[in-house]
Amino acid sequence: MLEQIPTAFLFFAAAIVLFAIPQGRARAALLLVVPVIAALHVWTLPFGVFAQKEFFGFTLDLLRVDKLSRVFALIFTIAAFLGNLYAWHVRDTVQQVAALLYAGSAIGAVFAGDLITLFFYWEGTAIASVFLIWARRTEGAFNTGMRYLVVQIGSGVVLIAGVALIYRETGSIAFELMTLGSLGTWLVFLSFGVKAAFPLLHNWLQDSYSAATVTGTVILSAFTTKLAIYALARGFAGTEILIYIGAIMTLFPIFFAVIENDLRRVLAYSLNNQLGFMVVGIGVGTELALNGTAAHAFAHILYKALLFMSIGAVLYRTGTAKGSELGGLYRTMPLTMIFCVVGAAAISAFPLFSGFVSKSLILSASAHEGHYIVWAILLFASAGVFHHSGIKIPYFAFFAHDSGLRPKEAPRHMLLAMGFAAALSIAIGVFPSNLYALLPYDVEYVPYTTTHVITQLQLLMFSALAFAVLVRTGVYPPELKSVNLDTDWTYRRLIPRVIIGVRKVVSRLWQINSNFWLRRINSAISRLYHSHGPEGRIAQVWPTGSMVLWIAILLGITLIVNFVS
Amino acid sequence: MNKQNDNPETFPRLGQILLWVDKKKNVDRIVYALYAICALLFVADFLYHKHTEIKVEEIPGFYALYGFFMCAALVICAKGLRLLLKRPEDYYAPYDTQSEEYPEDQLERIDHDA
Repeated sequence: MLEQIPTAFLFFAAAIVLFAIPQGRARAALLLVVPVIAALHVWTLPFGVFAQKEFFGFTLDLLRVDKLSRVFALIFTIAAFLGNLYAWHVRDTVQQVAALLYAGSAIGAVFAGDLITLFFYWEGTAIASVFLIWARRTEGAFNTGMRYLVVQIGSGVVLIAGVALIYRETGSIAFELMTLGSLGTWLVFLSFGVKAAFPLLHNWLQDSYSAATVTGTVILSAFTTKLAIYALARGFAGTEILIYIGAIMTLFPIFFAVIENDLRRVLAYSLNNQLGFMVVGIGVGTELALNGTAAHAFAHILYKALLFMSIGAVLYRTGTAKGSELGGLYRTMPLTMIFCVVGAAAISAFPLFSGFVSKSLILSASAHEGHYIVWAILLFASAGVFHHSGIKIPYFAFFAHDSGLRPKEAPRHMLLAMGFAAALSIAIGVFPSNLYALLPYDVEYVPYTTTHVITQLQLLMFSALAFAVLVRTGVYPPELKSVNLDTDWTYRRLIPRVIIGVRKVVSRLWQINSNFWLRRINSAISRLYHSHGPEGRIAQVWPTGSMVLWIAILLGITLIVNFVS
Repeated sequence: MNKQNDNPETFPRLGQILLWVDKKKNVDRIVYALYAICALLFVADFLYHKHTEIKVEEIPGFYALYGFFMCAALVICAKGLRLLLKRPEDYYAPYDTQSEEYPEDQLERIDHDA
């Protein structure tokens, strides 16, 4: 019986029940209870396809449970729990409802067994999540939210177009492994790529995640992009082009992250880079690689949320998340600092932290399959991640120069949420077998070998050494109040400028054209007026008799015409 | 916030302990410790049998050198990139949050000593 209720519906029902409960602790508690129930539900679901519904002649599979969808649904419920715990203090109905619908849609999409269900939930995540950006309630946030919505809804429109083409071609709407070839599959691939923040399609991520509310960003960071990773893993595992897309994805964001001032934007860039690792794993497509992608997504959601939570706590207490304004906060926010460092260690893949046991699966798989250049890029990206997320984030927020800010320690519920995320990140690192047991395939990988631990420590410590040397010699670029151009420049500056330019040229040409004709017509009218008008020369010499004559002629013609016909 | 509020005794316990890193001398110590750790890790490469999959991994200290030089290159390239990409903070204003203050009503900005 329980398996006939899709997990997503629990969240939707809770979003309605929410209105019956007055704002306050009871409502915040409901927001915590729902993900827990959902997690238990996901955990007890047997494998198989359930909750099939008829819809305009299609059979929709609302609940397809297998190892791949289960691990993603499980981490989504954990992320929803952590996000709502972190947002315990929020008394904003808009954000509460948005968080529930967003998490519900993401989980629904993961369990979708067909492409039409996937499409509905795909758009659901887009519409629900934009309210977490708009909830900031400023003009900038409204405009950012609009840009975000255009991209996200656009992704859904491309998806349904692809689905329609695939259906016409194959007569099936099943969401299974696809091969790139027909236009339909390419459109679906593109749609997944937009949400997974492929290079050149990525900038909605940095634009919007740094604009959302303190708690909104934490919730945003978990779902949309990892849903896209799941969809790629389900639909395009082993597609070779993904290896190269993923490698580029790991590479270019680290350059931007080094010079970015807004620390939440730095984290968004490093999120983009982490997605690259997962995309490479999907592209390689072996069992080891796909395990790596699932494991990395699981670990990544936890430590990325943890990092966003710690910087969010700083923003919540000080009103800014900019590196140039912060520094020296370890004095009064030591616990937040420690949690931030744990998150940093996890994302940098230090031994005993979660990144170490998940990322190495992907690196190992790519080397195993002979993609040596990709392996070298991933290794560089790993060092780069440590550089900007592992060192830069904690260093510029909590150490570096003293900003003179002495904010209070983060509120207790935020510390608790960070504590949970940190504990899980360490637990996964210390006991990887528990995570490995959840993965889609059997794992034979042993992360803790002497070679792996020492080489990884070498890589990280010498990266730290580079940082120390560069900071002490003054080469390291200081945090400056600035924004950096990225691909969003094309649609925020270039295209508007081009449109404005074209509009100017067209309107000028139109004006010249119409002026030309207007002048002609006007001069013709005035010339006629001059000669034939009441004051005109011809009017002056018109005798009254000529009019009588003309009328006589006219009547005569009428008579003849009448007579002839 | 003015400096009058800057009384270390009002900091949380852990914060007071961590004030240890406030002294230049102690920061130097940390950096020297890092140098020592790096040296040890480099030497460690000669002391065990490395299980390698790729040829370049067999070079002694490959991971160390790769990490150091690639990171230095990363920072220097990024610094160069800044010349090209840096714009004032209000470049996209008012269609951007970067130039905005975070809304005051969504914060809980309480001074530690307040």
